[in-house]
Amino acid sequence: MYQYDDIDQQLVEERVAQYRDQTRRYLNKELSEESFLPLRLQNGLYVQRHAPMLRIAIPYGMLSSTQLRTLVDISQRYDRGYGHFTTRQNLQLNWPKLEEVPDILAELAQVQMHAVQTSGNCIRNTTTDQYAGVIKDEVVDPRPYCELIRQWSTFHPEFAFLPRKFKIAVNATESADRAATQVHDIGLHIRKNEQDEIGFKIIVGGGLGRTPMVGVTIKEFMPREHLLTYLDAILRVYNQQGRRDNKYKARIKILVKALGIDEFRRRVDAEWQHLKGKESTVPLSEFDRLNRFFTEPNYETLENQPSNLTSKLADSAGFARWYQRNTFEHKKPGYRIVTLTLKKPGQAPGDATAEQMTKAADLADQYSFGELRVSHEQNLVLADVRQDALIEVWEAAKQQGFATPTLGLLTDMICCPGGDFCNLANAKSIPIADQIQDTFNDLDYLYDLGDIDLNISGCMNACGHHHVGNIGILGVDKKGEEFYQISIGGASGHDASIGKILGPSFGQEQISDIIQKLMNVYVEHRFEEERFIDTYRRIGITPFKEAAYAKAH
Amino acid sequence: MPKLIKNGDIIDNPHTWLENSDQAVTSNSLVAAQTWLAEQETIGEVAGIWLDAGDGIEILQGVDLTQFDVIGVYFPAFTDGRGFSYARLLKERLHYQGDIRALGNFIPDQLGYLIRVGFNSFQFNDDIDLDKALELYKPFSAAYQGDTSQPKPLFLRR
Repeated sequence: MYQYDDIDQQLVEERVAQYRDQTRRYLNKELSEESFLPLRLQNGLYVQRHAPMLRIAIPYGMLSSTQLRTLVDISQRYDRGYGHFTTRQNLQLNWPKLEEVPDILAELAQVQMHAVQTSGNCIRNTTTDQYAGVIKDEVVDPRPYCELIRQWSTFHPEFAFLPRKFKIAVNATESADRAATQVHDIGLHIRKNEQDEIGFKIIVGGGLGRTPMVGVTIKEFMPREHLLTYLDAILRVYNQQGRRDNKYKARIKILVKALGIDEFRRRVDAEWQHLKGKESTVPLSEFDRLNRFFTEPNYETLENQPSNLTSKLADSAGFARWYQRNTFEHKKPGYRIVTLTLKKPGQAPGDATAEQMTKAADLADQYSFGELRVSHEQNLVLADVRQDALIEVWEAAKQQGFATPTLGLLTDMICCPGGDFCNLANAKSIPIADQIQDTFNDLDYLYDLGDIDLNISGCMNACGHHHVGNIGILGVDKKGEEFYQISIGGASGHDASIGKILGPSFGQEQISDIIQKLMNVYVEHRFEEERFIDTYRRIGITPFKEAAYAKAH
Repeated sequence: MPKLIKNGDIIDNPHTWLENSDQAVTSNSLVAAQTWLAEQETIGEVAGIWLDAGDGIEILQGVDLTQFDVIGVYFPAFTDGRGFSYARLLKERLHYQGDIRALGNFIPDQLGYLIRVGFNSFQFNDDIDLDKALELYKPFSAAYQGDTSQPKPLFLRR
């Protein structure tokens, strides 16, 4: 993991001092509500329905057990003993006191954490694949590049007051895109060219919200040393030319769409000609320096499929299910990547109690070199578990509700906090997730349905990524009543697409029934081994629509 | 006399910022760049010009900027960050050496960033206490990125 040096540490501490002073001046009425708002947002503090909400950055998803224990401690002393992991690798505390936030930030700084730029119209936390560095088919480990971007974007003097928020995600493997890069303002795909040089395919103008769009390629291959100058050029064009008259048209995707990618690229390239090769060109020494923070831990030389694993897989259907769904192939023989799911029925997706987080930290210390990752799907990951320890990890995970063996299945939902917590929401989302969990509780059936992403957002801001769910559910408000619009056919991977709305919205109590009908259509039409999304792409929306709106006989 | 913060000191403001094009121009005036471009023949000598948000620095291509003591950049709202790019481009692209002055609705909490992109003088709105603003002059003692006073990013100095 990256370790702060004196300068990194000094910067977060100076930020705490600055924010403490801003909070003091706000409470003294020296700083107006209007002025304080963007300042607190740039430090992750929203004022929500019941209380402020503090969004803490977990840069590119990496978390040490020590950091997680600090989060536990903070959640118990300053909040209500739980936290909410988000789709962009942050942790949200739902009940902090505004006047205590500077103290929380000071404690975070002690363990090299912060809430810098987790909200506001600035460059946000850079995200990546939760399996970074431990999978087989990666071009290179993306984390050193994420850290490079983190430092470049932190307190960037020119881009702190952009037209709108700006999100960057990095992917380093052709086989999957677990960071939903194509629905980010900038998506970066690490590639090697024919000369074996490392660089980036750069995608721009993706995003969700009111006008969901899949990003378009602005550069097929940009050598890595030019990454920061090219990002500066994109941001400089956007900062000056992005719309500021209407916040719903202010994201970079609207500018890219309005100009067309060719004209947008021409403007960025023209700007870049002035920056190319200048001081912000990254020297090899910096890549080497950052790479040194992400070296391999002390793996032992082991064999795949140790005997205790193979016999348990044969003996225990429950274990075998969990192994199949919730663990993933590791690049080293004898190791396995384990996902601790935060999708226990009865608990809001992505929520973890202090007790659960403590247990996760214990498991990381005992079985995974003291590190964890946070995933886009709102789960926790132990990246380096020995295969001969999987049974113990499974037993421990089960006790904490971490072992619901449904990773990637219908009930492994992405869900925003919704109207129970969020000011912006039109409708509640957690009760919908609960209803689906309750209805679809037969594991054999879920396994038979296979990989399906179901995403729920409580409003058009789309924090639950409903547009890119294979099934998306969006809360809408109609004359004070909560309804839900269902879309199908979205995807967030390399085959990213925006879902299509099925038709008129449904009442809360109908949701599970409608999803059941959609599943029936899928089961009826699917070919063997065909995923839901592929069946949908083959047969189109009509059969689903007919089933959903058919009159009961 | 109205005050300015310039290079870290509070001084008397010798200039008059002409917010509207119908105000009388004197040699102490800061005139809107668009107005000056359209009427430079008749306007005569001025202390400087100012860029409105949306102007861009491109309109000053080819203009001899050494004739201006000051180029102002107007912030219609402090959340409108276009001026940050303008200042930086004035300095780095057009190599303007004079006074780059923030005008309008920016706030003291932005001083750190404003200085880093090349502003060196600040005409705050009247309701801002300049002594208190000066306390916020330099919130950070280091920076990751290069800027107009230190073009080398931290990674070249680490």
